[in-house]
Amino acid sequence: MPSNLAIRTQGLTKQYGQAFAVEQLDLEIEAGQFYGLLGPNGAGKSTTIHMLTTMTSATLGDAWIDGQKITDDPVAIRRTVGLVFQDSALDRTMSIDENLQFAAALYNLSPEQANARIDELLTVFGLQDQRNKKLVTLSGGQRRAIDIARGVLHKPKVLFLDEPTIGLDLPNRRSIWRFVEKLRRDEGMTIFLTTHYLEEAVACDHVDFIQNGRLEQGGTPADLIQQLAETILEIDTDKPENIVNKLASLFGEPIREDQQLSFKIIANDVDFSALQKSLGDQISSMQWRRPNLNDVYLWRFCAPDTMGNEK
Amino acid sequence: MSWRPVKAVVGREMSKLFRQRARLISAMVRPMIWLLVIGSGVGSMLQSQQQEGYLTFLVPGILAMTLLFAALLSALTLVYDKEFGVMRMMMIAPIAHYWIVLSKLIAATLTAMVQAILLLILLMLLGLVSIKIAISLLPAAVLTAICCAAIGGLIAVWSKSIDNFAVIMNFFIFPLFFLSGALYPVSQLPEFLRYVVLVNPFSYGVDLLKHAVPNVSTDFSIFTDIIVLVVFSTVAILLACWQFSRESVHEPLFHKAIVK
Repeated sequence: MPSNLAIRTQGLTKQYGQAFAVEQLDLEIEAGQFYGLLGPNGAGKSTTIHMLTTMTSATLGDAWIDGQKITDDPVAIRRTVGLVFQDSALDRTMSIDENLQFAAALYNLSPEQANARIDELLTVFGLQDQRNKKLVTLSGGQRRAIDIARGVLHKPKVLFLDEPTIGLDLPNRRSIWRFVEKLRRDEGMTIFLTTHYLEEAVACDHVDFIQNGRLEQGGTPADLIQQLAETILEIDTDKPENIVNKLASLFGEPIREDQQLSFKIIANDVDFSALQKSLGDQISSMQWRRPNLNDVYLWRFCAPDTMGNEK
Repeated sequence: MSWRPVKAVVGREMSKLFRQRARLISAMVRPMIWLLVIGSGVGSMLQSQQQEGYLTFLVPGILAMTLLFAALLSALTLVYDKEFGVMRMMMIAPIAHYWIVLSKLIAATLTAMVQAILLLILLMLLGLVSIKIAISLLPAAVLTAICCAAIGGLIAVWSKSIDNFAVIMNFFIFPLFFLSGALYPVSQLPEFLRYVVLVNPFSYGVDLLKHAVPNVSTDFSIFTDIIVLVVFSTVAILLACWQFSRESVHEPLFHKAIVK
């Protein structure tokens, strides 16, 4: 295994009975990289994380974290990684300080090390004055911040974030991403992210997609967006069949969501104003814009030839 | 292996115990009700000399009851922690998973001993036991507490959710208590129930406690009591650790539905 790889998997597979949660996963993630694994619910993202953090074992295949095979010494692997679970793992009946002191002791940090690190993390999140507050009195965003602080108390080399901002409002999400960015900058952590908020994955160095347990090779968000299309054309209409008949030969089959049609336009010389005029009163509205990572996701998992898989 | 994580798990349980004063008070009220109500009720059917003897007979039984309830309920926090997600914080920590069980059982034993000591102080204040008897009860109480924690550990690692709590109370705690000789001499039970008492490990804890109180009849020798308690506790703790280390036990913590 090359020494600069933080995570490597080879044929990693998790099978429950006849069902494959993850199948033949091959990954290579460089140290310090911000990696995103994207996919629909039940695609195998969390199972992948749980195998890599030794919370569940693989049925087949191997994985290495920071050069150590995960099955050789799971305790050592858990010292190397941090995991922020999708749901909170904190004790709501205890205070912030008690939760973090407890977690620090589990990582065998001395009281001095623990206090210094807790101070540092709470300062970043602006929660230093609330250290003795019970968790139950905090907002969802504050609790999530404490969950993340718990995950990085021991300065892991690799941090796994499983839907870290799910259910949070925009300011809280932004605050968490600022913190993640700081971790990468200051501590050189490798970050493995799964998220449903695809705009957040734009900051990743590399993203891959996973569906039905199988990895679909991705790339950098910028490349994926660029490769998808030049423009995304969205049309609202109560006569979708007419529009599809007219435009499919030009732009290919669209994604249909109720009465909205989304076409991906590869060419960069389309006169959209003229097109809008030609469609006349057959459409309610029409807009064209640059594609984003949400479009990449939609065209992977909701495109006309994949509609049966996810919707 | 450092002891700090173990101390953290034990410390968390102890801090919760002292914080929940109602739990401590109820742990004292329950045995006193049994002692006064059962002691007086059954005692009223006896002659005055036997009545005094029955109250003395009940002391080790009531102490054993306190140890049983405290240790079992404390060990069952393993299930609470699974249910409320806190277990994942422990599972992802760099410690072997069986240490979580061992730490919880140490905490359960300590919790039971704290409550037992408080009860003994109360009984001393009421003049029901002397300080000498109270001190001589302590070693037997420690062994009984470990046995009860081990029983609790076994139940906890096989319990999927706290919804099973009523089942646990009805099918484990009450039968263990009533069929242990804590409230009446085993020799007075019908023969078929005596066999049940024989296979109930808690009976040997109750009996060991009875040995510490003068003029209370016992059913087994001290040696038998100690051997059974030590062997049972060791096997039960090993079984609990083995079961908890099995991945299938934690699957529900990490996986919901796998659909394909």
